[in-house]
Amino acid sequence: MTTLALTPARILRSEWHKLWTVRSTWIMLTAATVFTIGVGIAISASYEQDRGEVSGVDPVQFLLFGTQFSQIILAVVAVLSIAGEYGTGMVRSTMVAVPRRLPVLWSKAGVVTAVVFTATLATFLVTFTAGQLFLDGTDKELSLTDPGVLGTLVGSTAGLTSLALIGLGLGALLRSVPGGITAFIGGVTVLPEVLRMFPYDVMDSAAKYFPGRAAEGLMTLHDSSDYAATGPALLALTLWTTAILGTAGLLLKRRDV
Amino acid sequence: MRVTVIPGYYTLHLISRRRPTPPAPARPTIEDMITASELTKRYGGKPAKYAVSDLTFTVRPGTVTGFLGPNGAGKSTTMRMILGLDAPTRGTATVGNHAYADHPAPLHEVGALLEARSVHPGRTAHHHLVALALTHGIPRSRVDHVLDLTGLTDVAGRRVKGFSLGMGQRLGIAAALLGDPATVILDEPVNGLDPEGVLWIRNLLKSLAAEGRTVFVSSHLMSEMAVTAEHLIIIGRGRLLADTTVDTFVRESGAGTIKVVTPEAGLLTQLLAAPPVDVTSSTPGILEISGTDAEHIGRTAAAHGIPLFELTPHAASLEEAFMDLTRDSLEYAAHLEPA
Ligand SMILES: Nc1ncnc2c1ncn2[C@@H]1O[C@H](COP(=O)(O)OP(=O)(O)O)[C@@H](O)[C@H]1O
Ligand SMILES: [Mg+2]
Repeated sequence: MTTLALTPARILRSEWHKLWTVRSTWIMLTAATVFTIGVGIAISASYEQDRGEVSGVDPVQFLLFGTQFSQIILAVVAVLSIAGEYGTGMVRSTMVAVPRRLPVLWSKAGVVTAVVFTATLATFLVTFTAGQLFLDGTDKELSLTDPGVLGTLVGSTAGLTSLALIGLGLGALLRSVPGGITAFIGGVTVLPEVLRMFPYDVMDSAAKYFPGRAAEGLMTLHDSSDYAATGPALLALTLWTTAILGTAGLLLKRRDV
Repeated sequence: MRVTVIPGYYTLHLISRRRPTPPAPARPTIEDMITASELTKRYGGKPAKYAVSDLTFTVRPGTVTGFLGPNGAGKSTTMRMILGLDAPTRGTATVGNHAYADHPAPLHEVGALLEARSVHPGRTAHHHLVALALTHGIPRSRVDHVLDLTGLTDVAGRRVKGFSLGMGQRLGIAAALLGDPATVILDEPVNGLDPEGVLWIRNLLKSLAAEGRTVFVSSHLMSEMAVTAEHLIIIGRGRLLADTTVDTFVRESGAGTIKVVTPEAGLLTQLLAAPPVDVTSSTPGILEISGTDAEHIGRTAAAHGIPLFELTPHAASLEEAFMDLTRDSLEYAAHLEPA
């Protein structure tokens, strides 16, 4: 005989089920994966060391160039997982089933973390391995076992996962799919670039700790003055994610569904 | 005229059922009651608007309680507050003496059909119900059972996008019954249903109440409530207008005339015409009877072998009484409340 009761594990399973039972999840994850791998292979295959413009680019960041776009797709998956419920009205069913509400947000965060982290890490490993097939003998030749390479790939994955969680938080705050996506693109990818256009060093430094730039910096194998160092970048991303999800949780609890 | 309820036909005893199976109405217990106490909801904007004002009532188990009021009266808002979707500006709403959110298994406590769409159209009916079931550890067999109960088994694998209004409504009811709830709250459940569906809902509600559950169902149609509910909570502009039984409402509103067509009009008049029953006739063979109910007339006629060709309570005049009551909320409020 089953004891009917809400438990965190059950709510998590429900959110897992919900994520995989809408087509958009499959389509977007496939698109993000294929795009990252495809772009990685394409630019590696056409890479000529002496052509100039890309030779200064960090070798890992170079391979993961496709994430410029894939990170948005992954964030959209996260935005959809919550804002999609507001758009369709599903959120009312969800909140009647889980009237304390917060476990829903935490479960969605858990599911997004697990899915985006796993899919991204696998994608990065494939992209790296496939791309390297074309880079033998160039300045971008690397092996997974070279110092720092695996760490950079895992760090990059963590960065993209944080960005997706920020997407989740924005979706929860704005309760609208277009709103969440716009806020994500504007806040995460456009805003830091705007900040850098000001002629003040302090703004340029601050921009390094904005989510998009921090995540970008995590993709570099070698330290560069363009980006924050790995530790501070991870810390900044964690703080951003916590702050945005925390605010979303606070409002979720307060506002009428 | 009463609709026949087949006892146990809709009985939902699958999971740990704590209510007994017999269809005899259980004695009201505080445990399964819905109570609203000075419930008030103000929506911001200019000017601020009170959707619900100082609403106090209780809904008891074992009977169907109709929540009646014209569009915009505040029925949906009240139900959303009971379910914790909207926070009251003032006052409290409880189910079984606790706020809805404080129950360890909310879906087992209350099953709800909301007025607004509450489904992701891209998900199949089956997956929608499984997603809700998973939160509480409700077994898959129960999902299949409620799909069967609502006649959705054949379309369970289809995405909700393609559902008609009636199918969507049935899915909402399937979701409401999923947790085998002690209390059922349905907001305008017959909306969008064809006559067959309306009848189905009516029977379902009665059988749920007969199993001892608390059944709270809203409608803006008096005629619908008159045949479905036993108890009535009537609101207008967010305020309580009447908390009464259908019978009392019918009697006090003077709307309880019943048309009877019989070849034995004279004999039936003799048998029935004694205070408070009043029998009039303007056409031979047709009686207008007030002060009693169709059941009493039917039984009396049957006991004396009098054939009845027609036995019709006047729903239209009932609707008029309801409109009179709600037309100007405050003026009539004192008149009809409490029963
Ligand atoms: N979210 C809201 N914001 C502002 N006003 C609202 C909101 N929801 C409902 N109302 C208003 O509150 C009143 C009661 O609405 P509702 O509860 O839906 O009535 P009913 O269900 O009885 O038709 C209506 O006048 C409606 O316009
Ligand atoms: Mg309504």
